[in-house]
Amino acid sequence: MNVGLEHYLVVSALLFALGLLGVIVRRNLLVIYMSLELMLNAANLALVAFSRFNHNLDGQVMVFFIITVAAAEVAVGLALIVALYRKRETAHVEDLTTMKF
Amino acid sequence: MNDLLVMGLEAAVLVAGLAVLLLDLWTPPAEKRNLGYAAAIAVGAILLASFAIVLPRPLAAFGGMFVLDEFALFFDRFFLLAALLVLVISVEFADRFETGVAEFYALILFALAGMMFAASANDFTLLFVSLELITVTFYVLTSFQRRQTQSLEAGVKYLILGALSSAFLVYGIALIYGTAGTMSFTRLAEAAPAVLDSRLLQTGLLLVLVGLGFKIAVVPFQIWAPDVYQGAPTPATAFLAVGSKAAGFVLLLRVLFTAVPALGPRWSRLLIVLSAVTILYGVLCAIPQRNLKRLMGYSSIANAGFLLLGVATLSRDGVSAVLYYLGGYLFTVLGAFAVICVALRHTEGEDIPALAGLHQRSPLLAATLAMAMVSLAGVPPLAGFFGKFLLLKSALMVAGDQPALYVLVAVAVVGVVISLYYYFGVIRAMYWPAEPVEQGHLPPIQLSRPLRWSLLLCIAGMLWLGVLPGMVVNLANLAAQTLLP
Repeated sequence: MNVGLEHYLVVSALLFALGLLGVIVRRNLLVIYMSLELMLNAANLALVAFSRFNHNLDGQVMVFFIITVAAAEVAVGLALIVALYRKRETAHVEDLTTMKF
Repeated sequence: MNDLLVMGLEAAVLVAGLAVLLLDLWTPPAEKRNLGYAAAIAVGAILLASFAIVLPRPLAAFGGMFVLDEFALFFDRFFLLAALLVLVISVEFADRFETGVAEFYALILFALAGMMFAASANDFTLLFVSLELITVTFYVLTSFQRRQTQSLEAGVKYLILGALSSAFLVYGIALIYGTAGTMSFTRLAEAAPAVLDSRLLQTGLLLVLVGLGFKIAVVPFQIWAPDVYQGAPTPATAFLAVGSKAAGFVLLLRVLFTAVPALGPRWSRLLIVLSAVTILYGVLCAIPQRNLKRLMGYSSIANAGFLLLGVATLSRDGVSAVLYYLGGYLFTVLGAFAVICVALRHTEGEDIPALAGLHQRSPLLAATLAMAMVSLAGVPPLAGFFGKFLLLKSALMVAGDQPALYVLVAVAVVGVVISLYYYFGVIRAMYWPAEPVEQGHLPPIQLSRPLRWSLLLCIAGMLWLGVLPGMVVNLANLAAQTLLP
């Protein structure tokens, strides 16, 4: 079988949808955060595939930036979730209800 | 080397941020909060330096990725002025942080650098990196009071929704890159007409709009705004309200008018609907609010709607009105947040009734807040009135081609009328409280000299833009011209 651009894009779209589903359905902050990373990696896959089939390297450069930024985001995000867990002893989104009307 | 000179302002801000972090090592703990004044002076110096820049033609650097034109310069000055005022507010707030005061100042400077990079972005790579520099910095700024549940909760909410919106943004960029084969706005503009009908490209652009819509808090991506505004430390909220929102608008304008100018007419219906829904959502939800920062959160959503009205006109006058409105918004909102920071420091939360008798405790604070509310409500002769006037005028001028704009203008006018109710509620709470407060409970508030000057600057700015709009209108026209020649 010849693997073409469409195959990569379908996998990437599936990964993106799975990540989005995880963000919407799951209630644990850590799992939500993992799903968000999955969405970013779906975009990375699409960029690398496009870059290969467009014959230019802009897309791959972008992937490096995304990986770097995602690492920074995870560092800040996990620190925040840990701080929240220490304070509230919970990592569930239903418990984030201090501020309301 | 030449490339680095073109981004000299941004580089100077980054150096100032690093310098604050270094100076922190040798500063005794008691003096640390004064580092904020040092940072503010540095930002002020960079702001003055920016007026020495003369641009006969736009400068480009890094292969056209970064451009310095009048439009970028307008926003560079805007962000520098905002950061200057925010730093002064931060010093007033500093004693409420347990640790890391200097880091707070440095983070403000780094966020400022991100906003200035966004103002010059001419490439989707730089768009993404600058937007993330702003967003990741704001995750930290929002949750800076990490012993307070509210601040942490605000931070986590901003984190999850911010990361979600950047995932959409990145996927959108991937799709655009896939169809057009380039990241550069300039080259995309050349390639776009041929591929504009491609579903993939349109989906990509829509996803980018989602990412930017989150930054500017447009319905339906506004969910985070009230909670984050309420929970974050007041200086962080102030910078979020002015800087982060303006950065979103810079990028939206660049993408709409530089990268895919052919897209505008196709999206005008979409932008009009988004604008109308955002205005109505903002003003209607603001009515029952008791917390002043939360009220400002909903007010910022409504203002995003008004600004989007200017974008939806797709005309140079509309863009120019957006820039002018943002200028007035800066003085108005930062003045209001400076008062919130100082006047409500001894109360639990920031409830509006706690403002009672503010004019006896500090006439200047009460006057600033009252003027800010009047300006936000769009009552003459302050900046907010003239800004709204220009926006509506630009919409009516092109409404012949796009009749839906008449409906949008009507919605905006209704929005302004409704908003009078809650803005004047704040003024009433100050001067004519429901329950009169006893004299003994009203200790006068001492204002530090820098804060006093900042408040006066905000008042002067509101009056100046409202009464003598000529100079700023010229600047805004000049900036809009580079975008829409």
